[in-house]
Amino acid sequence: MNRDAIIKLLKQPVQWVEERTGVIAFSAPLLTHHVPRSAKWWYVFGSATLMFFTIQIVTGVCLGTMYAPSASNAWESLRYIDEEIPLGWMLRALHGWSSSAMVVMMAIHMLQVFMHGSFKYPRELNWITGVFLLLTVLALAFTGQVMRWDQDAYWGLGIGAAIVDRVPVFGDQMRALMLGGPIIGGETLNRFFALHVFILPGAAIGLVGIHMTLIMKNGISEMPKPGEIVVPSTYRKEFEERMHKTGVPFFPDAAQRDMVFCGVCLILLVFLAAYYGPFGPGGMPDPTLINTNPRPDYPFMWIFGAVSLLPPASETAIMLISPVIGIAILVAVPFLSNSGERAPSRRPGMMLLAVFVVMAIVALTWEGVTSPWSPVMNGWSALPTPTQFVKGRTPLQMQGAVVFQYAQCRNCHELGGFGGKRGPALDEIATRMSPDQIVRQVQQGGGNMPAFGKNLNSAQMTAIVDFLSTLRPANEPDSTIPGAQLPLPIKSPLTLNEPFTGTGVPAEIATGASSR
Amino acid sequence: MLRIPNFFSCLLIFASIGCDRMPGKPTVATPVAIGSSAWTQSTFDTNCRGCHSQGAEGAAIPLIDAGYWKVATDAQVIQVISHGQGVLMPSYLESNGGPMSAEQIAAFVKGMRSLWGAGSPGGQGGISDVVVAGNADAGAHVFASACASCHAAGGSAGSVTDPMYLKLISNQGLWSAIVYGRAALASPAWNEPMPNHPNGLTPTEVADVVSWIAQARPVSPANNQNASNAK
Ligand code: HEC
Ligand code: HEC
Ligand code: HEC
Repeated sequence: MNRDAIIKLLKQPVQWVEERTGVIAFSAPLLTHHVPRSAKWWYVFGSATLMFFTIQIVTGVCLGTMYAPSASNAWESLRYIDEEIPLGWMLRALHGWSSSAMVVMMAIHMLQVFMHGSFKYPRELNWITGVFLLLTVLALAFTGQVMRWDQDAYWGLGIGAAIVDRVPVFGDQMRALMLGGPIIGGETLNRFFALHVFILPGAAIGLVGIHMTLIMKNGISEMPKPGEIVVPSTYRKEFEERMHKTGVPFFPDAAQRDMVFCGVCLILLVFLAAYYGPFGPGGMPDPTLINTNPRPDYPFMWIFGAVSLLPPASETAIMLISPVIGIAILVAVPFLSNSGERAPSRRPGMMLLAVFVVMAIVALTWEGVTSPWSPVMNGWSALPTPTQFVKGRTPLQMQGAVVFQYAQCRNCHELGGFGGKRGPALDEIATRMSPDQIVRQVQQGGGNMPAFGKNLNSAQMTAIVDFLSTLRPANEPDSTIPGAQLPLPIKSPLTLNEPFTGTGVPAEIATGASSR
Repeated sequence: MLRIPNFFSCLLIFASIGCDRMPGKPTVATPVAIGSSAWTQSTFDTNCRGCHSQGAEGAAIPLIDAGYWKVATDAQVIQVISHGQGVLMPSYLESNGGPMSAEQIAAFVKGMRSLWGAGSPGGQGGISDVVVAGNADAGAHVFASACASCHAAGGSAGSVTDPMYLKLISNQGLWSAIVYGRAALASPAWNEPMPNHPNGLTPTEVADVVSWIAQARPVSPANNQNASNAK
């Protein structure tokens, strides 16, 4: 058979399909549409983001076949994937690293679009769908972290719940909606699983579709040149003329650069995955893990950094309002200026803003990485109340010391040099705070301490405050008045049998050493 | 443009290194044998020591204590670990939301006994380790004669009839506090001789005084709520 005959033979089935679906006629413009000749290496970031997204879907589907979305099995199933499935760990590593890479690539892509003013007329909606894609992807990253169902996951959820809790009026309902109940438990995982594998990916795929359609419709913007001004009334006509005259077909001219860049990204990704391995699952506590240091995943580190810098008084307002404002500003960007100059050199204010935002995020991430998070996640069940704080206490104070363990205060607070360093050591708290002040601190939290008001009943609160009021240096006189009643404006005492598991680890995870 | 041959040779090198020796592969933790004393100790240190330690350390009843294991029976300890006790003792059995299987709990209790039980099989000392119902009126007299010297209002050891305290401790907890005491905190063990009670207290007397103390508890006894603990 000669060459032509072979080609003909190969073409036949293609033509058969084409005749019945028109799929080639439909998709050919995707490849052949003209893009500006000036579109060079600056334009590869969007494609790379898309590639990472595709990798996420492929690896995610594979993981979905093996992951057990139940509170009692999730952690175990990850270990199973890591250890029993051939290259299962690689799959998880790719999924994890590709998720971070996607967030980073997306940020770079957005930054490039912002700096080149590409969001201006007629591409406002490209930008807006992009903003929603960013939010969806961040939500995917957050829910994905929860899938690990380890200490980090609990930590993230605990803080998330604490933030949601602060919403005025609807705090309780929103917390219940987020966690599937008053505490982090099996329902929480189910909820986040549904979000992570159905709802959010569905939303992301839809948004990607819209984003791509808009790109096809509006074309890819040219490299900005100083003096080349966007005038909405004439822009589209002129752009299309220029494309017609000087544009080059997307494939292969622009596509080859995308492919090279994506190839490099892919190699880097495989390298990162192979070298650094999968993320977590972090401790199911075992004795060697007493000093685990749960942190949020990198995309959220800056938020936690910011939270740790906030003055406690303004915290609620800032934590609740700033994300709303941030999103509103991002969405508003193309409306604030949708015409005029695009060149960075003619938009110095905007460039300064971009640099500022990037620097702020980097600095806050650094703050998040270096700030003393270090809660000790099994401190509550592993670190005994030191002798000097047990001796000479009344039975009620002793129970207060147990509540201090039980409510996992110890995970964040040191006693006698052992315990979490998230909050201040409480060895001498009675010299700093009156019982009333302690009650307020415990009930309302603040300064990165969760509010326990609703998680401790009046007896637990009384006992814990009574116990803390005895914590003072040995040489100072004990000023607790025996039998003195504390004024306790307790809002909504829980039923006695409801254990506190609102933040940190619930008993089932924190006490997991023995199940290995 | 990228040189295809180079790319492939890179890939080949990658493949030939062997995926199973890549640095990112998670290392498999070697499990400690269940039931070994190392396993028992580490399970205890991670899960229990925060509340139950030894001597004057830890706020709940010490478990590193031969006196405890002399009286306590394995069955009762397994029951408590599995289902919790009162308000503040979590339940550890898987079906109660805990991390341990029934077999692990049994092995754990056996392990603790062999570490700290000083060879005692438990159930010794003439008093049950499980709370029994008593007569509160008789208990008032027991309290006056045996306890008031330390626990009366303003007494050196603090009130045991404080309603807030009683909301946090179960009758079983009161029973154990009285039976075992806590020598390191100068809290007497009433299964042993005391100055004006040469034989300690009888089981009936302990039951009576627990009933009397429990009367001061404002809500239904917390020890009915074991099963719903630590979900
Ligand atoms: C010699 C003094 C003394 C006598 C007599 C005494 N106790 Fe105590 N008791 C203590 C001390 C000291 C503590 C330790 C403080 C603590 O555990 O909170 C204590 C603790 C307790 C506790 C609390 C245990 C806990 O951890 O919650 C109970 C309940 C208790 N005693 C009941 C009794 C009863 C009932 C009697 C009488 C049968 C009694 N005590 C007699 C000194 C005494
Ligand atoms: C998530 C970690 C965390 C947990 C859990 C936690 N705290 Fe805190 N706590 C903090 C932080 C952080 C601060 C510092 C707050 C600030 O700077 O205003 C703090 C502050 C305090 C203070 C004031 C200390 C001072 O010197 O100003 C008290 C008292 C306190 N916590 C008691 C408790 C008690 C009681 C519990 C358990 C019911 C508890 N905390 C649980 C993190 C925590
Ligand atoms: C958060 C603190 C806490 C932790 C952690 C804890 N316990 Fe307890 N435990 C208690 C309290 C408080 C009581 C008494 C409850 C009551 O009677 O009201 C108790 C009671 C007990 C009792 C019954 C004592 C008696 O005879 O009355 C046993 C046995 C026990 N715990 C074993 C364990 C073991 C084993 C572990 C670890 C797997 C453990 N506990 C972990 C707080 C804790």
